[in-house]
Amino acid sequence: MSSINQIPVINTKRGNPLSKVFDELVRFCRSRSLFILHYCTGCGAIELPPAMTSRFDMERLGIQPMVSPRQADILLITGYVSIKTLKRVILTYEQMGSPKYVIGICSCTVNGGMYWQSYATAKKLDEYMPVDLYIAGCMPRPEAVIAGLQQLMDRIHSGEANSWEDYFRNYDYYLGNQQKLFGDNWQTPTDILTEAKHYNLMGEGTFGEHTRLLEQHQKPLEALDMRLGNNLKEPTE
Amino acid sequence: MAPMELILELTLMPLVAFLVGMMMVLMMRRIAAKIQRRVGPPLLQPLYDIVKLHSKRTQVSHGLIHDIGIIMAMGGYIAAETLLPVPGMNGIAEKGGIITLLYLMMIPSLGLALGVGQCANPNGSIGIARALTAMLAYDIPLVIVIFGVAYAAGTTNLVDIIAQQQAGGFAAWGAVEMPLLAIAGLIAMHASLGKQPFEIYIAPAEIATGPMVEMSGKYLGGLFVMQCFQLYTTSVLYVSLFLGGGSTWFDFLLKSFLVLAIPVSIAYLFPRYRTEDLLRLMWKWPVMLGLIGVAFVL
Repeated sequence: MSSINQIPVINTKRGNPLSKVFDELVRFCRSRSLFILHYCTGCGAIELPPAMTSRFDMERLGIQPMVSPRQADILLITGYVSIKTLKRVILTYEQMGSPKYVIGICSCTVNGGMYWQSYATAKKLDEYMPVDLYIAGCMPRPEAVIAGLQQLMDRIHSGEANSWEDYFRNYDYYLGNQQKLFGDNWQTPTDILTEAKHYNLMGEGTFGEHTRLLEQHQKPLEALDMRLGNNLKEPTE
Repeated sequence: MAPMELILELTLMPLVAFLVGMMMVLMMRRIAAKIQRRVGPPLLQPLYDIVKLHSKRTQVSHGLIHDIGIIMAMGGYIAAETLLPVPGMNGIAEKGGIITLLYLMMIPSLGLALGVGQCANPNGSIGIARALTAMLAYDIPLVIVIFGVAYAAGTTNLVDIIAQQQAGGFAAWGAVEMPLLAIAGLIAMHASLGKQPFEIYIAPAEIATGPMVEMSGKYLGGLFVMQCFQLYTTSVLYVSLFLGGGSTWFDFLLKSFLVLAIPVSIAYLFPRYRTEDLLRLMWKWPVMLGLIGVAFVL
């Protein structure tokens, strides 16, 4: 970025004088109502039930568990992420509606933790998806989890927690790291590139060599075969 | 009635229903929290949830019918509110009657079935099949109860039924005159709320909230709004049929919140039945109580 003229300016000016009040209301409501989806990969999962139930009670902060990625705002990864699990984590993350936030709990999501030398574990979670907050510890106690969630609430309220846009703006980087692990023909059911175009979330890093590789072999999504009796068809490849 | 006044009432009644419904959702969650020895959500939590869900940036739609289904689910209840008299406002209740109201209260389930059908999610399909089965289960005692009340009052006009009860005082209340029908109605109402032990179609641990599984953003927000209307409609219908409606707003709100507190307090103490157990239970006890109650009325 050599000159200031090259920095892209996004026109966010809105005509309505009440839009600032409205944005403030929306940010406040977003910060006070968080639905979490806990993807319990490791030992950190054991600290979540006490955080939700009568001892620490997350619901008084407006945080409640949800069961499907479509409904959730926060993806909690609670432990080490093996490469096989990482595929599912990415599919889950891409299905969530934006704005969405990722929290990595336990040391294993930060740097691999005690699985540092394992060949089958993804070491740093933020190479594969933008992470808003890490709660380190092995494992962090419920107080630490709730303190971390409160920190995230503050960041959402002040408008800083927008790393979900980073996934669209730098998709090439994340896709490159994913392709390094899963092979060149890695494709998820969610078409991130089309979504980035549709919601005008494209940045300089949206397209690159890795997305070109994806577009070469990308198969269009097809509707499910709804016929009865033919559902056990063998995959064609 | 002047047309302007009617339009004002038709606008105000769903709005009031929405506000009261949000308080009912809050009450439900607070009762659950108290039973589980928690603090519970803050005062405006239902509002935060609805605003947040409607302000999501990316929306996942599965097609036109998915959109229309959610509109039907909300619209059915919004139409039902204009047929439910509240103190000072009758809306079109005198022209509609209970039978229209019963039809309108079925529309949300059908709208949901349409919308969920297009998601092509197996959990959603199982959920909506169970929701329609549950509707089959609780509608039979509900229809028997409503027939009994309407026969005793000699009219299907909800305004007249309330007026008769209020004219006779406490002794003329439906719950005092027809206690068996009132008990059967309470069980049917509990099942129609879809709370434990009749929670067969939500079942988060088994089918991942059933019909809601593919709903995100605005769609889930629409269902949250629908839940507010659902709680309001069922409790106000019960109050109108059995507890003499409300002569003042204080009276009316007190009765509707108290009535709703009964199934909600029971709900968080129990796990849930299986689908066939629900059918067997609903077609045995409330139907039996309702039929004996109708026999007394006849």
